Amino acid sequence: MKKVIIGNHAVSWGARLARAEVISAYPITPQTQVVEELSEMCADGRLDARFLKVESEHSAMAACIGASATGARAFTATSSHGLALMHEMLHWAAGGRHPIVMANINRALGPGWNIWTDQTDSLSQRDTGWVQLYCETNQEVLDTTIMAFRLAETVDLPVMIVLDAFYLSHTAEPVDIPDQDAVDAFLPRRQARFKLDVSDPHAFGALVRPDSYMEMRLQLQEAMERTRDVFDRVEVEWQQRFGRRYGAVEAYRADDAELLLVTSGTITSTARFVVDRRRERNEAVGLVKVKMFRPFPVERLRALLGGARQVAVLDRNLSPGRGGIFSEETRAALYDLPEETRPAIHGYVVGLGGRDVTPTVLDEIIDRTRASAVPEREDVWVGVNP
Amino acid sequence: MPERRVSPVAVSQTSTLVTKTGSWKYIRPLYQDRVAPCNAGCPVGIDIEGYMSLLREGRWDEARDLLLLENPLPATTGRVCHHPCETSCNRRQFDEPVSIHAVERMLGDYALEHPPSLTRAAERSEEVGIVGSGPAGLACAYHLARLGYGVTVFDAAPEPGGMLRLGIPEYRLPRRLLDGEIERIRALGVSFQCGVRIGQDVPWRSFLGLFDAVFVSTGAHLGKDLGLQKENVAGVRAGLAFLKAVNRGERPELGRRVVVVGGGNTAIDCARTAMRLGAETVVLYRRTSAEMPAIPDEIEEAEREGVQLVFLAAPVAFHAEDGRLRAVECVRMRLGDADASGRRRPIPVPDDRFTIEVDTVLSAIGENADLAGLPPELAVQESGVAADALGTTSRAGVFAGGDVTNAARTVADALGAGKRAAVGIDRYLRRLSDDGPNGTGLPALRFGNGNISMARWRDADPVHRINALNELVEFDDLNTSHFRRVRRRRDDRLSLAESRGGFAEVNLGLDHEDAVSEALRCFNCGVCNHCDLCLIFCPDVAISRRANGGGYDIALEYCKGCGVCAEECPRGALTLTREGL
Repeated sequence: MKKVIIGNHAVSWGARLARAEVISAYPITPQTQVVEELSEMCADGRLDARFLKVESEHSAMAACIGASATGARAFTATSSHGLALMHEMLHWAAGGRHPIVMANINRALGPGWNIWTDQTDSLSQRDTGWVQLYCETNQEVLDTTIMAFRLAETVDLPVMIVLDAFYLSHTAEPVDIPDQDAVDAFLPRRQARFKLDVSDPHAFGALVRPDSYMEMRLQLQEAMERTRDVFDRVEVEWQQRFGRRYGAVEAYRADDAELLLVTSGTITSTARFVVDRRRERNEAVGLVKVKMFRPFPVERLRALLGGARQVAVLDRNLSPGRGGIFSEETRAALYDLPEETRPAIHGYVVGLGGRDVTPTVLDEIIDRTRASAVPEREDVWVGVNP
Repeated sequence: MPERRVSPVAVSQTSTLVTKTGSWKYIRPLYQDRVAPCNAGCPVGIDIEGYMSLLREGRWDEARDLLLLENPLPATTGRVCHHPCETSCNRRQFDEPVSIHAVERMLGDYALEHPPSLTRAAERSEEVGIVGSGPAGLACAYHLARLGYGVTVFDAAPEPGGMLRLGIPEYRLPRRLLDGEIERIRALGVSFQCGVRIGQDVPWRSFLGLFDAVFVSTGAHLGKDLGLQKENVAGVRAGLAFLKAVNRGERPELGRRVVVVGGGNTAIDCARTAMRLGAETVVLYRRTSAEMPAIPDEIEEAEREGVQLVFLAAPVAFHAEDGRLRAVECVRMRLGDADASGRRRPIPVPDDRFTIEVDTVLSAIGENADLAGLPPELAVQESGVAADALGTTSRAGVFAGGDVTNAARTVADALGAGKRAAVGIDRYLRRLSDDGPNGTGLPALRFGNGNISMARWRDADPVHRINALNELVEFDDLNTSHFRRVRRRRDDRLSLAESRGGFAEVNLGLDHEDAVSEALRCFNCGVCNHCDLCLIFCPDVAISRRANGGGYDIALEYCKGCGVCAEECPRGALTLTREGL
């Protein structure tokens, strides 16, 4: 069934088709419609889930953790300051190996107060142990939401799906909504590996001494490493059933490209358009879209970017005092390549706080990159008023 | 892969029961029932919250029995009481007060349709004589009978009921209901001797010798004079005497225009009755509607029926022709400073006068007790018999209550005084100390600062109360986020045409379903009704249900003293105290 829906409702549909059992959320612009729609689905019986209104995002995640500890499939959604308020609980979810799925709508952090898109909120949570999957279209949002549960419950890690404020959250696109039966076959009921059991009472989250903590962290790291392969397998099965896949990393017209753009989120769509135009002029420009940020797809990026002469990484985010986070991660991932295949990494900070990243901006980035064999500086800010 | 020794997640070796987190707390919850403001606000001393709670659980017979434990005349009070319980109802500050009177009325009617078998305590040999069969006398007789005493009630009127029968119009209180409620008292073994005026037909001295104790509740029947010239001209009548005549079945000739002077219930009763006899009726009151002591619903009904209310006016002269009243001359008033009653004093505006043509004036500015007809050597204070809270007078063995004392003159206050006097007489006859049979003093018998509870006096509260604390629950003690706003049901009323055309009951109360809905609106202030919210919210799972629905146990060895249970309790049955206090 095709429906024209906004990105936020694509999330709601995904959580509904995944048969989330507990939804606990606190509203925040631009996430509100996600949980608004879910609350209506719960109220009118389309979704048989317990909907918990809570007093804060911290509590929303705490409730998801509690629900997950009983073996339930838990879901929430948030954005920006709400995600920041969850921070402590994000560690609890990952350290407790709770396969919770959360949608985060990328929104800038204040002050200055700003409700528009910016990836700094989710990227600030990169060390919490959550898998992070960035989306480009509403179809990808819906598909990723459902796949995220399968992935999370396979590796026992929480998964954050990430989408741009307004460009996706509030923009309607045609979305193919899978049949419930087909989704049920893809995603059976959760079989919890660890859960509270009143007939064998134990508590989760007790003190762990130095003699065990590292081993537990190692297992978390190993689970993250496993996630790359598991995600591929999940996507392959999704493709078999529904005919679509996205890839942890997607190469677009990247073959024999001398310059590769590295993008994430909705900037990718604009970049596809610009790349097409450059290719029409026989310019060797291609695109690599990074969907999976955690675990970082190091090997995949080395394979795709190694051999290109130049790489331009676009960051709609900022780690103040360092620069764009994707470019920083990409540089680190490629550092171990032999010098002859290691491309020059040009970092560009663009579109913070929802500023438009237009084809003109991307053309400027391509031209400036090609004009200098070595990066002008680690991060060039483009589209900044004097 | 080698088998891992360490679990991927932090799991305890055993359950958390070994961790006695209770040692962390510095505050602890107190699971104690407290007093609902309706109970404290009821002059009768009815456990209103208790019967609402029983009705919530569908326990009709127990609700009826609990009501009858404290109030012998619920079908009557459900109709004629000014229901101060609703004024004190905490729900007033949330949306609208619970329609307590309508629930009481339904339960009172239920008690007449489904009579309980009322019990008497162990029989006692003492005999008590009660003079006056109004609400105070009936209440005293009823409670004493249930306490096991022999009781005889005397009344000068041909039938018992006092002001309920003589003064209150039939359209407010159908007599078959009053008869039914008095019959229930008779069935308890109380004897009635009507048509006998003690002090006249039987001398007080010999009367007092017949009984071990006597309760004087002769009421207040002497209408106050207006203090104007020509007050005895034909056409000027005492309002109460007029009501009594109509209630006897007479239909006095009033003429076309009637002016009622006064602002109390007698005045409104006179006006509505005169209107039913075909007169155009005006009520003249010297203050404003805000100071009017009559029950607001009655005032509203009077206006609806066409009674005209004239405020800030008082009669100053009657004009007669041929010995017959023709007009009443009035002076305009204004309000000055507050007087002793707390109401603003009316002051005449000297030259602002007007005249109303009138055929009959009914004066209803209050009644006095007939102090001349009292037993000898009985101390009098102000305009009534001097009596303490339990009705004790200056004469040993003689008790008094109701309108003959200086109490507030309402049916509810009279019923409450009769109950207190029954306790006073019981205590006197059993020669008990002030502490009472269950070791508690008078304050402990009261609902908060309200009237005393017969259940507590008899130490036989049928309602399960958890460590009851005699402390009032105020609105701020409630967590109203757990309540929904629900409109108060309005009483059904007879159509205007039917109301004005006769003496059929005007207020029809609520139908069964709506009355139950009103009972469900009750917050059960201060009293645990097993809503489970404390148990649901306790983050330490330290609260558990007791077997047999007897409330909750709090495992203090695990309670961390977070206070969430007390915060979430919607009705103030959980409070916090500092640890060690």
